[in-house]
Amino acid sequence: MKSIVISGVVASLLFFSGCSEKAPVVDTKASTPTQEVVKEAKPVATEVVSPESSSVGSNLNVMKLSEAEGKLTSIYFDFDKFAIKPAMQGKIASDSEVVKMVSDTYGVKLEGNCDEWGSDEYNFALGLKRASSVKKALVAEGVDASKISMVSYGESNPVCHDKTQECWAKNRRVDFSLLP
Amino acid sequence: MKFFLSLLFIYSFTFASDATIEVVKQAETLPSIAVEDATYNYGDTFKMQVFKALVADLNVISIFNVDRHHRMVDYDDGRVLVANKDQDYVLRFKMLEEDNGGLMIQMKLFNHDTTVFSKNYKVNRKNLYVFVSHAIAYDINEYMGKESVAWMKRKVVFSRIVAPRKSEIVIADYTLSYQHTILSGGFNIFPKWATNKQDSFYYTNLNGLKPTLKFLDIRNGKISNIIASDGMMVCSDVSSDGQRLLLTMARDGQPDIYTYNVISKKLRRQTFYKGIDVGGHFQNDDSIVFISNRLGYPNVFSKKLGTKEVEQMVYYGKSNSACSANGQYIVYKARESSNVFSKNSFNLHLISTQTDFIRRLTATGINEFPEFSKDGDAIIFIKNYKEQSSIGIIRLNYNKNYLFPLKYGRLQSLDW
Repeated sequence: MKSIVISGVVASLLFFSGCSEKAPVVDTKASTPTQEVVKEAKPVATEVVSPESSSVGSNLNVMKLSEAEGKLTSIYFDFDKFAIKPAMQGKIASDSEVVKMVSDTYGVKLEGNCDEWGSDEYNFALGLKRASSVKKALVAEGVDASKISMVSYGESNPVCHDKTQECWAKNRRVDFSLLP
Repeated sequence: MKFFLSLLFIYSFTFASDATIEVVKQAETLPSIAVEDATYNYGDTFKMQVFKALVADLNVISIFNVDRHHRMVDYDDGRVLVANKDQDYVLRFKMLEEDNGGLMIQMKLFNHDTTVFSKNYKVNRKNLYVFVSHAIAYDINEYMGKESVAWMKRKVVFSRIVAPRKSEIVIADYTLSYQHTILSGGFNIFPKWATNKQDSFYYTNLNGLKPTLKFLDIRNGKISNIIASDGMMVCSDVSSDGQRLLLTMARDGQPDIYTYNVISKKLRRQTFYKGIDVGGHFQNDDSIVFISNRLGYPNVFSKKLGTKEVEQMVYYGKSNSACSANGQYIVYKARESSNVFSKNSFNLHLISTQTDFIRRLTATGINEFPEFSKDGDAIIFIKNYKEQSSIGIIRLNYNKNYLFPLKYGRLQSLDW
């Protein structure tokens, strides 16, 4: 019973310590030209110029990233299946072209998802195998495998919440996310 | 109110579908019990909360026909109330407020007019009363010499999905009357108690680049990283001594089962099939059961650790995608309907490795994530039915199911 009480005491600590969001990503490429400018500037000028040029560089990259992500389309799957359907091959080809264009700058994260039929590990594994199928297809199209990471969100990341077969079909998918 | 709702669920879902003639006969012969309240220094609302908790717990231990009338009495009166004179047993309780805001509950059990058992209980805060109620029911069950219900006193840890990729990890009692959100923000799922003491747990963190298994020590709030894997990382089971973990990891996108020794940090791959192998559970010290799609659909298999031989365990059900083991018994989730999108899709079944015995444990809704209690007396599971997410308890020896609904969010996984 004491442990219950103790858990209550540390709850607020855990609330903050345990809920860390994704760590901010540092864009090292954006800061490279800034360092060259700094070398030529006087110490006082460096303090002003450095953050301004870093800021501009970051904004440009954010735009490129979102623009590229907008061109990537999700790949959809049949119930309890992780093989890529023939109808999805065209999307795979167009997605791989986009990934190849930006792969020098960004990594690509494949996010496997399932419909709502089960929160168990099998559903997570199914989402992962879907992501893995897409990864193999991208590699076959010439994408560098080392640029691709995968994760499965199981049924926990639905884009459609209705109780219809059409809705469930929208949730059986692999999404693309670009990583700086 | 929650307890009455839970009891309504019991009658509407369980008795209607799972009760057998044998159990009905048994119910007629159970001894009767009434609860007498001798509390005078708390408000009526709180007194009724505690009374209802006691009545619900006495129902769950399944050895009494429980009278539901709330009656006040003098604690020191040597006789039971006239209205209860025909009851076989009477539980009398009295709540006392402690100086520091704590709560003391005195109880005694009458067999007709003879006190046969008495005990005092204390908690530091009165909102922990439900754990006293569980302890009283546990002690009465022990006094009556019935199968242990030690699981009643254990805490349940569960993850609750509150939005896409947003979850909370909550510690609760088995009825969900007490809930304490211990981890919120981000995406943390698959909590699993690390020790029998329930003072720490493992969980999967999906906030970073790679799924990471983390360890949270409740005593000091410290969080540490255990191991990470691309794609998937779940702690499926913990050995009884807490030293070995069964992990599902997916290096190179291939989900397989691994053993991980928390002392030596040694990781060993246990399954090698090219498809899906997940959800390992210890059957005993050297063998596991797990889910694999090596037949083209998910089903339950077993294997001895360190060997490559695999044995199919279940020959019923079109899609068996979750399981748990306790000695010779295996409980698994099966999709029974030929229509994969019908409302009656997933039910729990129990088999024995020693016999051909198959027992259907649930009848409606989506029933999943079964976990045996440590002593094998009960099974806890998640039920999703008509937008309602609940924790279910199955008393195997009494063929009874109890449901405790979640107020908001959807249950993702649990352990106890």
